[in-house]
Amino acid sequence: MVVVRVSHLTKRYGHLTALSDVSFSIRPGEVLGVIGPNGSGKTTLFECLAGVLPDDGGAVLDDGRALATNERSSVLFYLPDAIAPWPAQPVRWALDYTVGFFGGRLDALDDVIARFDLASILDSPIGTLSKGQRKRALLAMSLLTPQPVLLADEPFDGLDLRQTREVAEALRAQVAGGRTLVLSIHQIVDAARICDRFVLLSGGCVRGEGTLAELSAMATARGAAPREQNLEEVFLALT
Amino acid sequence: MFARRPVPFFRPVPFVWLLEKEWRELLSSRAWWVMLLLIGPLVGVSFIGAVRTYAEVSGANGVATGAGEAFSPLVGVWAPTFSACELAAAFLLPFVGIRLVSGDKQSGALKIELQHSMSALARIAAKALVLLAGWSFASAAPLVAIVLWKAYGGSAYAPELVTIAFGHLLNAGLTIALAAATASLTDHPSTAAILTLSVTVGTWILNFIAAVQGGVWERAAGYTPTAMVAEFQHGLIRLDVVLIAIALIVAGLALASLWMRLGVPVRRRTCESLALAAGTIAAIIACSFATPSWDTSENRMNSFSDADETALASIRAPLHIEAHLAPEDPRRVDLERRALSKLRRVLPKTQVQYVSATSIGLFEQSAPHYGEIWYDLGGRREMSRLTTAEGVLETIYALADVKPPVESDEEIFRGHPLAAQPKGAAAVFYGIWPALIVAAGFLVRRRHA
Repeated sequence: MVVVRVSHLTKRYGHLTALSDVSFSIRPGEVLGVIGPNGSGKTTLFECLAGVLPDDGGAVLDDGRALATNERSSVLFYLPDAIAPWPAQPVRWALDYTVGFFGGRLDALDDVIARFDLASILDSPIGTLSKGQRKRALLAMSLLTPQPVLLADEPFDGLDLRQTREVAEALRAQVAGGRTLVLSIHQIVDAARICDRFVLLSGGCVRGEGTLAELSAMATARGAAPREQNLEEVFLALT
Repeated sequence: MFARRPVPFFRPVPFVWLLEKEWRELLSSRAWWVMLLLIGPLVGVSFIGAVRTYAEVSGANGVATGAGEAFSPLVGVWAPTFSACELAAAFLLPFVGIRLVSGDKQSGALKIELQHSMSALARIAAKALVLLAGWSFASAAPLVAIVLWKAYGGSAYAPELVTIAFGHLLNAGLTIALAAATASLTDHPSTAAILTLSVTVGTWILNFIAAVQGGVWERAAGYTPTAMVAEFQHGLIRLDVVLIAIALIVAGLALASLWMRLGVPVRRRTCESLALAAGTIAAIIACSFATPSWDTSENRMNSFSDADETALASIRAPLHIEAHLAPEDPRRVDLERRALSKLRRVLPKTQVQYVSATSIGLFEQSAPHYGEIWYDLGGRREMSRLTTAEGVLETIYALADVKPPVESDEEIFRGHPLAAQPKGAAAVFYGIWPALIVAAGFLVRRRHA
């Protein structure tokens, strides 16, 4: 049932512990939201998982087998936040490159362009796009990659409400197609809208993992019952 | 649809995509276009000056002032013309290389591309190949100079030109490897640029120290890019120099690939870098023992005559030379250039030891043994003060009981005097070249936009 298990992942920057003994599971076909305030370690967690940042301990297990850093790309694809890769190249080329370089899904190209409303910016260099346009282009790119698990850091950052809903719909369609998504989100409202399960991260530690109901029960069991049955209250109660 | 994939050993298609991407990035790099733009006028200044000087020496003012070596286009025209490439490789090419390597880090593209299982060495090799291709475009400027020279009626000896072009290609390779390594090691392109220029200036300081101190410094300085290019500019291909240059290029690119792996702990990368450095030093020491060399100059400026080489080759006993000359003494420079560098090519086991108390030798002139050159051949010793090739050979022949060969007039290089002015070169290098580069840049940018 579990596609990937993150086990006791730790990351330190000198004396600062950014991730402390982080453990959780990623189940196939789910949208898992990693929720936490700014500075809680979400980006560090994703970079360690993707193998673009060295960790100081712990493991990423695939069917019980620890994946070496260079093996993780066979299972995971990580889309970082706030990047502007190949700024001089047009969006159309970036999408083609993703398909060609990563062996991605050429058949999904037209659908992705339509879903993310990229037709008007296909010939624009990535460096000239607005934050929202760039986010849409990069999300489209990530959906073309072939890995079964997609890690997206702040996928709704820079998007307006309408775009957020459209992107959420596109991401949901990916899950329906068999893909697993792990989204790092600091806007709890956005997370509640799209995610099936949640990992609550605060101060580099996992404070809870599960569905909203499970997390709510966990908070109650700890004697910190949320005032309302919503993710914001549950998060505040557990962190 | 989304399945786990095994990590294949080699997939040609992603590498082709990577090459294409690097090429597009190079085309969109201002640093590369600036290098292309500047190399034309740089080559033009050198070429026009060299052709004018060559014409003067050839008798443009009515009297020929030189003979033999003075009329070698290799020394008179190609060495100064191609020296513009050396300048471009030292001060322009590093920025092109740094931009191509650092750009991915700065933009975040590296984090995306690292998620492909391709080895870091393959990634850096793609960048190096594209940079070399980019350099080849810049090398069109000296090719234009060759075409102009032929149009003036000048002589061009292909092996010399191939040698000098090969030397500059190796030099460009060294610069690319250095730029890639510094860009990979540092977080910011400006830091990488400072580091690269520091290494370049460091090699110049090494050359300076070698000129003053001699000894082991002199030996080390023989492998700096400046010294290496100078050998090629004299039509000499030394296997040890080529192998060491290749070893340094591979080491630089390997270092860049080690530090490109952002997911590997810094401590491990540091240990691997130290191991790489140790391996490179061992390879350099091993390569320095390679003695074959090839003189491709038309006037055989790096060789004795065929008759002398045949006579010297018959000497089996080990030769040891002890020269009491200071590093900065012009006689020592003469002895090295005119005799010993040629002698080492025929008798690789020749050992030369310099003895001096000071670096300039000015206050040693009155010392009893200063200026003496002692030859020891199989236990027989002889002293001479001559620093010319003829004087050195005479002493060695006398010690070896070998009859000096008769000099043949046919072997004397008469040269190719040419009293032609560089007509049209200024228009080509200062006008047409920059205009073409600007137009090409505009078209490429427009096509990509």
